[in-house]
Amino acid sequence: MSDPIISFTDVTYTYAGTDEPALHSISLEIQPGEYVAVLGLNGAGKTTLGLCVNGVVPTMLGGELTGTVLVGGLDVSEYPVREMSKLVGMVFDNPEFQMSQMSAAEEVALGLENAGVPYEEMRRIIPETLELVGLGGFEERSPLGLSGGQQQRLAIAAVLAMKPQILIMDEPTSNLDPIGKQEVFDMAAKLNRERGMTVIVIEHEVEVMARYADRVIVLDAGRIVMNGTPQEIFSRVDELDALKLRVPESAALARVLGSEYGLWKGQVPITTEPAVSAINELLGAKNA
Amino acid sequence: MSMQAALPIAMIPGNSIIHRINPLAKLVWVVGYVVLAFSTQNIVILYSMAVFAFILAPIAGVTKPLLKACLILVPVGSSLLALQIIAPAVERPWTEVASLGPLPLYGDGLYYGFVLLGRIVASLIIALVMVMTTHPSDLFTSFAKLKVPYTLNFMLAMTLQLIPVFQREVGIILSAQKSRGMKGTGFAAVLPSFVPVFVGAIERVQQLSISLESRGFGSNGVKTSYRQVRGRPSDWVVGIVGALVVAGLSTYSIMRGTWSLAGEIQFSSVFVFVTFLISATIFAGIILAAILFSFKK
Repeated sequence: MSDPIISFTDVTYTYAGTDEPALHSISLEIQPGEYVAVLGLNGAGKTTLGLCVNGVVPTMLGGELTGTVLVGGLDVSEYPVREMSKLVGMVFDNPEFQMSQMSAAEEVALGLENAGVPYEEMRRIIPETLELVGLGGFEERSPLGLSGGQQQRLAIAAVLAMKPQILIMDEPTSNLDPIGKQEVFDMAAKLNRERGMTVIVIEHEVEVMARYADRVIVLDAGRIVMNGTPQEIFSRVDELDALKLRVPESAALARVLGSEYGLWKGQVPITTEPAVSAINELLGAKNA
Repeated sequence: MSMQAALPIAMIPGNSIIHRINPLAKLVWVVGYVVLAFSTQNIVILYSMAVFAFILAPIAGVTKPLLKACLILVPVGSSLLALQIIAPAVERPWTEVASLGPLPLYGDGLYYGFVLLGRIVASLIIALVMVMTTHPSDLFTSFAKLKVPYTLNFMLAMTLQLIPVFQREVGIILSAQKSRGMKGTGFAAVLPSFVPVFVGAIERVQQLSISLESRGFGSNGVKTSYRQVRGRPSDWVVGIVGALVVAGLSTYSIMRGTWSLAGEIQFSSVFVFVTFLISATIFAGIILAAILFSFKK
């Protein structure tokens, strides 16, 4: 395996003015090009984990951080967030709060201007990026006049235009309708596959994460309690239940069929397709 | 949710010759208008300035919104004229030309009323034409070229952006309070909504600052600009002509002791009387309507 692009070594972080650490001795490595989903209840430390990667924790928010977070080989506590921005793009959950410009094009341009990208290149990158997030032709629209989903995609475009190696999305689809959610995750998957971008998604949408993620990390009360492939994690239905986390519907169904009726044997399906074919088989066997 | 609360005075997109003039050249004219308007008391100049500014409106295609914004002149103008006729803002002696019962009406008062109104009308119209034909971002980009610090510029631009946002926020909070049985209109409703609006604002600003910093805001390297504002030769001509005209007329006007036509223009008593009646009626009507409206609520 190559060097990890993100590595947490025994990281404990306490927000300024609180006693209880938000993160408890976290150790974690993420390889370049991985698509990682972070699950957990509200308050489990998911957002804090994300903020550690671009250095907002601790450089902007203060508080007490022990252990080291290395991103692209850089210790985040030693570099200002604006330096980390070349490496890490972060999209937050409330898109409207991230808008500051008068037009969509300028919103996307902001990061490029700060990075000193020449005008001619911006003229090329901005329409391209807007097109990529499905906002082609929206250049002159006011960000505040867009719908929640469009604003979210604009916030993503504003970050993508800077071509970060790592994209972190903190509940990026909480304001979106089902189609909008699908679009955002498809886009992230495409960036991950085609550009090798490392993607970290903080989400509640287990179905989608089961489909897209290479790895699932489950946080509870600031600790990593599970860390593995979606298949491994979502098969542990009882443990997820105990953590009050949702499991994919097909996994839940397989468990009921397995434990209560003794009908399910073999691997727990985490997406719909294997569940459907397995059930068809079951029905076929019965009818035969 | 994301309904846009528009500012009453905003840019009207277009591609007219006025739209295309460099923002700084336009700014020279606006500043020049204000300087000249406040250095002369010559009503011919003042109203010629207003007429010239108004001619620009159809050229820029902003006549209708301009007229709408100019409605503010009705209360301002009527009160100014009515009050000046009965109490001129100049030294005595005043020449009484008519009277309304025991109330003396002064001719020089009307002249100064017209001067004050002319200053407002001329400055307002040219400023509105500028605001309605200039993209705020272009203006700020031009400021940046004048070495106005990036952060200051950004703050100005942000403020413009936040006004409609907070307008909407107040609306949402007022509806929320109404739905919980609190008073939703009038002054009594404004105070209890302050706290949530400000708390919301602080949260928003913190989130925004994190988001901006995450996009490299404040980095030390060379910054580029997406909006390109050109200074063509024609823009220089417009700007220099504006500066010369203003400098010339202002100097002349100051040399002639503010250059007033007060002695030369004599209003007939009928004209003063009728003007007073009309402006006083409009002014009183507006006040009465405002009082009735607030009682109805």
